[in-house]
Amino acid sequence: MNRTRVFITGMGITSSLGEGVAAHLDALKSNRTGIRPLGLFTVSGGNLFPAGEIAGFRAPAGIPRTHALALATARQAVPAGAVPDAIILGTTTGGMPSTEESLRKGETGPDAYRLHSTSSVAELLAAETGCTGPVMTVTTACSSGTAAIKLALELLRNGMARRVLAGGADALCRLTYYGFNSLQLIDPAGARPLDRARRGMSVAEGAGMIMLEAAGSPPPGAIAELLGAGLSCDAYHPAAPHPEGDGARAAMTRAIEDAGVRAADIGYINLHGTGTTDNDLAEARAIRALFGETVPPVSSIKGATGHSLAAAGAIEAVVCAMALRDGIIPANTGCTEPDPALGVMPLLAPLEKKPALVLSNSFGFGGNNACLVMSGPDAAREEPSRTPLFRFEAVSSACMTGAGDTEQTIAAIIEGKKCRGLLPLADISAKLPPREVRRLKRLPRLVISLAMEASGIAGSAAKPSSIFFGTGWGPLSETHDFLSKLFESGEQFTSPTDFVGSVHNAPAGQAAIWLKATGANLTVTGGDSSFEQALLAAALAAGEGEALLVMGADEHHEVLSPLFDASVRAGGPSSDGGGALCLRKSGAPAGVTIAPLFYRGSRNNRDVISALIESAGGAGVITKKYAAIFAGMPAGNRQECESRLNQLITATGFTGPVIDYRGLTGEFASASAVAAALAVRFAARGEIPAPVTGGASCPLAGKGILMLGLGEFITAVEITA
Amino acid sequence: MEQLISELKEKIIETLDLIDVKPSDFKEDEPLVGGPLGIDSIDILELAMMIDRDYGIKIDNKELGQKVFVSLRTLAEHIQKNRNR
Repeated sequence: MNRTRVFITGMGITSSLGEGVAAHLDALKSNRTGIRPLGLFTVSGGNLFPAGEIAGFRAPAGIPRTHALALATARQAVPAGAVPDAIILGTTTGGMPSTEESLRKGETGPDAYRLHSTSSVAELLAAETGCTGPVMTVTTACSSGTAAIKLALELLRNGMARRVLAGGADALCRLTYYGFNSLQLIDPAGARPLDRARRGMSVAEGAGMIMLEAAGSPPPGAIAELLGAGLSCDAYHPAAPHPEGDGARAAMTRAIEDAGVRAADIGYINLHGTGTTDNDLAEARAIRALFGETVPPVSSIKGATGHSLAAAGAIEAVVCAMALRDGIIPANTGCTEPDPALGVMPLLAPLEKKPALVLSNSFGFGGNNACLVMSGPDAAREEPSRTPLFRFEAVSSACMTGAGDTEQTIAAIIEGKKCRGLLPLADISAKLPPREVRRLKRLPRLVISLAMEASGIAGSAAKPSSIFFGTGWGPLSETHDFLSKLFESGEQFTSPTDFVGSVHNAPAGQAAIWLKATGANLTVTGGDSSFEQALLAAALAAGEGEALLVMGADEHHEVLSPLFDASVRAGGPSSDGGGALCLRKSGAPAGVTIAPLFYRGSRNNRDVISALIESAGGAGVITKKYAAIFAGMPAGNRQECESRLNQLITATGFTGPVIDYRGLTGEFASASAVAAALAVRFAARGEIPAPVTGGASCPLAGKGILMLGLGEFITAVEITA
Repeated sequence: MEQLISELKEKIIETLDLIDVKPSDFKEDEPLVGGPLGIDSIDILELAMMIDRDYGIKIDNKELGQKVFVSLRTLAEHIQKNRNR
């Protein structure tokens, strides 16, 4: 049987060690470090520390440094003229290197922020390579790059793409530099992972990119095979790892199982090994628990490259592919006296050897863990067979809007009112113990409240283990407050609490702690289709039979939202909120079901509406199968949205009600999560109430609801009862 | 010293948003972290930032922090000994 295998056929790497694979081979062979005192920007007195900066790398004018690093590295990985079917990228900073500078200067024109979003990095790569397929952005802090590669693997296994560009990118900026410093996680002598005297990490920048191809056998030029990947969540603490490394061990175990190999076959482990006291200890404990007395050679390259956050896992995937192809196992640069308390002995010098199988570890804030298993391209392997499952049983749904929680929202719209606007902070977290949310600002409170409501309704019927969260902009209050305090104090003082809370995955990491959800925990961004992207990520990465939460939420911030989001600028009352669905991935779902049908870019993609109709089964099927359409038409590009909707209505002859739901919810990136939560409730009642349709009530009579996104990305989600 | 301790109580409540804690809830010789007030390691870093800003004293590594943040009294003693503003 010709099962789909996934091969690395191209790669790019940029780090403080240099640009390109050849430069890295050279640096790794000579056990060199790229960590030196920061020169990229001037820092306040007493705060100059070693960092992993890419000396001499300059971003073109108007392009944020993270984007520039991603573009330069993608060019190394993608052969000229090749067009990837999809792009999946991990990043935490996105446009922050430029945004923080613009905010400091007090820039108020939105042009300065047009590439702020974390998702704009992958979207720029898509524009550059001509990719019109799914573009996804994973932001799970320091495991983002690895988690992105996991999603790419599943996209290829499921046959949704033949060729995917995956990786990670992050540039140095003040937010991360001062943020990690405020957590006292910087080693003033430069990172010395696993060393007895280690004091912390060195913040760094870089990008790693791999071209992944699905094939029955190794294609020409195959460098390595990606055998498997595993995700987990500590559900323990926002910033510190589980002390025994339980989450790390679970992710390693899942990756090894997914690869269909045994731990004893692993020939090299590329450690997360940041150099912080806690990370290295927890990781060593996890490795000892999993490998027992026979630990294979291990090393962390973060004493050489520094810790490039979302890029790190992708950079290390490239280094692992180099180990497999070029026979160089890197040293644990920077470590001179291994810490005997770890019980794991890192390589103190590079090893010229080709391992048969490698494991690469990445762990992040929020307890978000991701691991990869790779081999040489020619190994014969029995891959575990799988059936793609894209349909979920919707066990429960919840939403929060300007009108209140789910019941208040539904009550408002049944009365013919709108549910847009801003709920006061105290109302958002009204059902949460005040002491336990004292450090949390608007977005994490929204997300925890939504998660608790959805899982509370589901009760014992479905206890979610995995969480997939989509957000257009992440925690804006924390980001704004962190930067304001930093700049107001002349870069002397800031808030470690705000830094930990500012990462996009902090809210979902919090939700995991509240729900003790130790399965996969992914935060994704994609502007107005962030929620749809979370649903797609869940379809790709959730386990069969597993209960999970798929959520979308955004907060309105009076300063940042109008700068970042064109739809917020376009007018209407300030609004925010979100939705959460408790789902079960099932081969034979009962009751209300939900399934992602379509996700493609609209830019340079004239036939996208025809492609959508075709993928839904054709014009006839759409009119027969769906009673109503929920249309997502962000105000920022309203005209294009309306013309796409008209095109679809004309082509299908659809006569049912079309609900322009942003009129109800107001304008915010994850408004579609509210729409989905409501659609699930209506599907369960078998009727869409009259005030929602704008005419008579719409009985579903066995038909479903088609939820469309018609903006930058064209998406379709089906909800049936 | 007693005046500094009561000043610190106010500052800690404000810095950490301990909305339901009163100054009289603090026992100056009891452990600051992990007690009934719910103060944890991130709060300690937040307090270190406040002490640097308000008293000009850096507590910028874990070893020192572990000695200084034992209790409210050890913190006050450290500030008393090193303060320059």
